[in-house]
Amino acid sequence: MDTFALLAQGLMAAMAPMNLVYALIGVTLGTAVGVLPGIGPALTVALLLPVTYRLDPAGSLIMFAGIYYGGMYGGSTTSILLNTPGESASIVTALEGNKMARKGRGGPALATAAIGSFVAGLLATLGLAFIAPWVVKFALSFGPADYFALMVLAFITVSAAFGDSALRGITALFIGLGLGIIGIDLQTGQARLAFGVPDLFDGIEVTTLAVALFAIGETLKIASSPSQLKEEILAVKGSVWMTVEDWKRSWVPWLRGTAIGFPIGAMPAGGADVASFLSYSAERSFAKKPEEFGHGAIEGVAGPEAANNASAAGTLVPLLTLGLPTTATAAIMLAGFQQFGLQPGPLLFANNAPLVWSLIASLLIANFMLLVLNLPLIGLWVKLLTIPKPWLYAGILTFATLGTLGANGAMSMQVFGIRFSFELVLLLAFGILGYALRRFSYPIAPVVVGLILGPMAEQQLRRALAISQGDPGILIGSPVAIVLYSVAILALVLPMIMRMRGKGGALAQLASDED
Amino acid sequence: MTTGSPNSERRPDGAALFIAAILAVIAAIIIWQTSQMRVPPIQARVGPTVFPYIIAGGLALLSVGTLISAWRGSFPPREKDNYGPMLWIVGGLIGQILLLSTAGFSIATGVLFALTAKGFGRGPLWVSLPIGIAFSFIVWFLFSRGLQLSLPAGPLERLIP
Amino acid sequence: MNKLFLAALVSGLIALPAYAADYSIMAPASPGGGWDQTARTMQASLQDEKISGNVQVTNVPGAGGTIGLAQFANQANGDPSQLIVGGYVMVGAILTNQSPVTLADVTPIARLTGESVALVVPANSPLQTVDDLVAALKADPGAVAWAGGSAGGADHITAGLIAKAVGVDPTQVNYIAYSGGGEALAAILGGQVTVGVSGYGEFASQVESGDLRLLAISGEKRLDGVDAPTLSEAGVDVVLENWRMVAAAPGITDEQKAAINADIEAMVNSATWQTALADRGWVNTYLAGDAFDAQLAKDIEATGAILKDIGLVQ
Repeated sequence: MDTFALLAQGLMAAMAPMNLVYALIGVTLGTAVGVLPGIGPALTVALLLPVTYRLDPAGSLIMFAGIYYGGMYGGSTTSILLNTPGESASIVTALEGNKMARKGRGGPALATAAIGSFVAGLLATLGLAFIAPWVVKFALSFGPADYFALMVLAFITVSAAFGDSALRGITALFIGLGLGIIGIDLQTGQARLAFGVPDLFDGIEVTTLAVALFAIGETLKIASSPSQLKEEILAVKGSVWMTVEDWKRSWVPWLRGTAIGFPIGAMPAGGADVASFLSYSAERSFAKKPEEFGHGAIEGVAGPEAANNASAAGTLVPLLTLGLPTTATAAIMLAGFQQFGLQPGPLLFANNAPLVWSLIASLLIANFMLLVLNLPLIGLWVKLLTIPKPWLYAGILTFATLGTLGANGAMSMQVFGIRFSFELVLLLAFGILGYALRRFSYPIAPVVVGLILGPMAEQQLRRALAISQGDPGILIGSPVAIVLYSVAILALVLPMIMRMRGKGGALAQLASDED
Repeated sequence: MTTGSPNSERRPDGAALFIAAILAVIAAIIIWQTSQMRVPPIQARVGPTVFPYIIAGGLALLSVGTLISAWRGSFPPREKDNYGPMLWIVGGLIGQILLLSTAGFSIATGVLFALTAKGFGRGPLWVSLPIGIAFSFIVWFLFSRGLQLSLPAGPLERLIP
Repeated sequence: MNKLFLAALVSGLIALPAYAADYSIMAPASPGGGWDQTARTMQASLQDEKISGNVQVTNVPGAGGTIGLAQFANQANGDPSQLIVGGYVMVGAILTNQSPVTLADVTPIARLTGESVALVVPANSPLQTVDDLVAALKADPGAVAWAGGSAGGADHITAGLIAKAVGVDPTQVNYIAYSGGGEALAAILGGQVTVGVSGYGEFASQVESGDLRLLAISGEKRLDGVDAPTLSEAGVDVVLENWRMVAAAPGITDEQKAAINADIEAMVNSATWQTALADRGWVNTYLAGDAFDAQLAKDIEATGAILKDIGLVQ
């Protein structure tokens, strides 16, 4: 029961009035920057981290926690309302969330995202406090072969986001896989498909692709399509609040999302994006009304948003217990901790107990502040949709290019004496690709998924085979891998059985009704 | 894959044929580039060329699939898009790319802002351009001065010491 | 030299911030990495010690620093206020990426810090000493899976040098590259690979806690308070330090170079820098002038040779 006493002590410290103010400032700043389309949590944290340096360690940790959660949540707001996710983990949120917003149900979508994030953040932070050592042991037991099995599972479940044509879905996926080859091969240091352009050596930035396909592609499509240009989006139809049915349909996905997100976030090669993909397809398979998926199913927002947040807390497990930064955000956090002389690692809990517990307590407080701040603001956020389209989309493009420039936009190319940023050229090219995909009814998400999962799957497979010296038996040599492959097969077969039981008919009918 | 094929007259879909051709070309480029690679003699069982070949093979197959689908005219119907607005926005993005290094963030992004608004039918430019530049300048100030984000500066940005 | 140093110090102390030399430091890596931290520590030290009034840090990540290097060489030409942070990894990356821009296209100023590469095994590994590792390597090179950072980096080079030194064909080294030290550390702790090879700092806290066993370090001398032999002491004739350096723009005059040298020397001797090094566990290996140039040339040649032996460079 030592843990409880320490946590209580941490909470007491974090609840000092001044610290609550810091938490509120952090959450507000984090949400304000994170909500801008094209600026994801990693950039938000990197930008705002220096703000925290001026405070004492406790105050700075709590403000930092606020920024972190605020940034994570802010990203989903624009995904839902404007279909412009700022990073890979909120792409899935856009799939259903934006459909909801277009039907005037943006309020409930934002609410289920906020409450789901809160529930997931709460449970996952408690998990971090109480079961971190065991979670870490589980995460470390994952070898390359197990990761490869996880990727196979993720690939199969991606088909849930394929829309109504398998041909076009798989084509979109392969375009993403093709983009994933570009860059220096990690295992041999040789450049692939870089055409001698140094900016391509590090591969295509996922954020750039996601922002281009969604924000730029969407803008181009809406501007050029007479029907979509005229379409009036009602900010609110019905209640801005969640109905009793929304609650009933949300709470299980919140918990399921947390259960998926926390362990995957804790894995050194997992990540919030993989967790949100898996959660989305889980919700789709378990849904009572699968025919609503693709048309604004609230489960498709509730689950992935919870998974996304739980995995953010999961990331802290290897960071605090092993000193392993597993995401860009975590690497920035590590640098932040070092400013206070904190050395994350196996001895952190022993050497710096009070600070660690006040960090965990800060996360709980920040999580709570996020809910307090954002629930009343939902009514205001949905008003974003009432901004006239010319100004709204001009603003979206401003921030999309700002985020790209800020993260990766060095003026690295020179033609005819004009210096320009290659990353912005990529943004434009992928934006046009995004338009073309929309025009010919190709789904967008699988392209980004291919870019994320393809390189991971390749590296893990090659590592596994290098370690086994070429023996493919290693791929099915561990119980974890066998379990994952079984789930993958189940995920393939289950929808077919569902369809045979007649549910598919309704699905096809609804699909043909779509805009 | 029979969903969404209401147009019963079997006329090949030109745009879809074009997509099939693009997929085939991408597959060919990947195969060509990968064949040029020097594979280090490290004892890698699955080398750096295996995945590119698999993906290129997949794209080639998908190209054939798209060809068949185009021939059958089974692509979903699509409305006629106006390319005018699109050109304004693409022009705005290109303008921003070219102007950034000399004119700085505010002016370059102001051009993008104004041309995008124009694409959505809001003008005239002599009104929206100043609005865009002023808006971008505020954004630049907040991010560059407030948050130390490194953004290209031009004559306008240098007015503020 | 001394005079200039004094002059810089005095002018730094009395001049208005606007008159002190302003610097812009490029970290050719993402925020949070080693080069970024070096650049930001320099920023803090130069500013806090009033050596420079205003120091900006920009990040240009990618391809072992060669993307940033190329951009720096092209755009900073002749500008004495521009600095770039780099290191040993860049030397290897220039060769494997066939980068058109090399360290000859900038003006190296000084080596700042150095870090030994460490060889570690999980606590429950049967390998107890370097001799055990060498025996395993000689018996079947492919069966020893090495985990470390990206291909062609300091970690990979260390593995290649060890194989070569004990008479094993370096092309047979079964090196598994991981992106970032964190992922490699996880694979080592999880027992997925035989041996881990990476900067000592990556493993320090796990070695302290007993989760990893430190077999040897690659530096010339033992580390203070760390009970492990150097590779040479363990009978493997390999010495390697993963150093970090600062370079200035190409095309600057000798006077400008001397002024930068003085500022950097003042920074290295400052209390802020020394405290920061101690906090982060970096070892001060300051080396400037002709001695640094000579060492750099030697490293570039040796690195080219071993990368050819491993088979990464033709």
